[in-house]
Amino acid sequence: MIKKISFLFLIVSLTTSCVAVKEYEKVYLNDPDMLLAAKKSNRFVTSFQVYREAASGANGGKSGGGCGCN
Amino acid sequence: MKKIITIVVLFISFMSFSQTTNTEYKKRVLETTEVDIITSFYTQDGDNASVTGGIGTEKLTDLATSFTVSIPLNDDDVLTIDATISAYTSASSSNLDPFDISGASGDGEDDDRSSHISKEIATNAASPWVESSGASKGDVWKSLNISYSHSSDDRNTILGANANFASEYDYASIGLGGSFTKLFNKKNTEFSVKANIYLDNWKPAYPTELDSYLDDNQNLNDGHFQGIDILDQNGNIIDKNSSTIWTPFKSTLIDDTSRNTYSVSVSFSQILSKKSQLSLFFDLVQQNGWLGNPMQRVYFSDRDNYFIGNASSIPNYTSPTNKDVFQLADDIERLPDSRLKLPIGARFNQYINEVVTLRTYYRYYYDDWGITSHTVNIELPIKISDTFTFYPSYRYYTQTAADYFAPFEQHTSTEEFYTSDYDLSEFNSNQFGIGFSYTDIFAKRHIWKLGLKSVDLKYDYYERNTGLNAGIISLGFKFVMD
Repeated sequence: MIKKISFLFLIVSLTTSCVAVKEYEKVYLNDPDMLLAAKKSNRFVTSFQVYREAASGANGGKSGGGCGCN
Repeated sequence: MKKIITIVVLFISFMSFSQTTNTEYKKRVLETTEVDIITSFYTQDGDNASVTGGIGTEKLTDLATSFTVSIPLNDDDVLTIDATISAYTSASSSNLDPFDISGASGDGEDDDRSSHISKEIATNAASPWVESSGASKGDVWKSLNISYSHSSDDRNTILGANANFASEYDYASIGLGGSFTKLFNKKNTEFSVKANIYLDNWKPAYPTELDSYLDDNQNLNDGHFQGIDILDQNGNIIDKNSSTIWTPFKSTLIDDTSRNTYSVSVSFSQILSKKSQLSLFFDLVQQNGWLGNPMQRVYFSDRDNYFIGNASSIPNYTSPTNKDVFQLADDIERLPDSRLKLPIGARFNQYINEVVTLRTYYRYYYDDWGITSHTVNIELPIKISDTFTFYPSYRYYTQTAADYFAPFEQHTSTEEFYTSDYDLSEFNSNQFGIGFSYTDIFAKRHIWKLGLKSVDLKYDYYERNTGLNAGIISLGFKFVMD
């Protein structure tokens, strides 16, 4: 577990050293398909996965509570 | 006098400058009110129903709809109200009371104790493979989520708060949360922390034979069991006054109806280049309280088996061909009153060209019940035209079993915790999806004052190596207010 968290911090350290992209250069990044989140229309798909699988969370959404599910 | 005039002129000039600064154009966080309507239809089937101890039909359908309205209160603040309703019918849940043929015990009546077991149904139709018509065959889950966010003038700091309410017939939930988001490095880097508390409560519904037995003063000659023959493994009718009779393993069911969840979520996003960006997510979730589901039966291998129904079907009990005999439960599932979950996830998106974008997601999950899992998701949006996009996707999921899981009749009564819920078993699953999206950035088509901005249609097929398979179709509309 500690190794995995260390690896995560390593990635974070590496990525923060990237060159900053200016606002006017973000045309591709602002494409709706580049959004760093699940699409809104996917919410009920995520819901059934939360019910049918033991794992949940780490997707920017809910990670537990609110239902009698796993 | 000259000095005074000079000071006044300077003051006015200063104030004018200040006024100019204060009224500087600031882009609104949300330009106009947005309305999202999403509806979905889900269906599943399988042979490992947890309500009947890990065997039985898992047939279930669910129709869900959500309305989300985001309202800009001013340049900086947005109020979002989300109302969701989800109605399901489930063959598995219906077998909370497999002997109920009345179907009249809905609308708040006590499903479990509505009547004596019908002699007719007890001998003809109760089975893990047959859907009962009792009230527990369906339910409606309702949820209301209100959230508020405030962005700083430079749009580099966002504060948020949210409140949730949810209820279904055996469960109620109240949730509160807050979030803090900071953007820096010319908005190339984003760091966010969210905290949520859910204070939930079971309004427990139990397998009818367990609840009724305890409710009827542990007397098989009275109440629910009155006049009903109970059979042993060999199909012989037992003497209810003898020492070898069916009894539940424990004389108490739920002693703590609360289920509290405390979660902290940390996310970090980074733009890697003009065409790629990455997000990392880390959640820490602690749950306490009754973490099992009181509806779910468990059968022990070291206790005698007893049945109600057709004796000749007992040898065939675990086969879907069994339509008329039901085994009385030993207990409900029992799980620890604490669970720590640690999911870590990452998203990486790459804009490949004007037509294709690559969206990827990976999650590693660990909890202290012995479950670890890996999730991989790949989506490849393909722009067919200026307005239409095709979304093929694939998701692979795998998990190890919880320490407390064993299949039907494989637990022993010496164990402290036990469940036969296949959602906690070892399995892997594949999910294949296709979707289409229509986008009109000018929202030319109108319904009343609402301009249609996008339509999303998606179908996903899900199959698990335990035999469960499912399909879900989702339809979403996004409107913007004129």
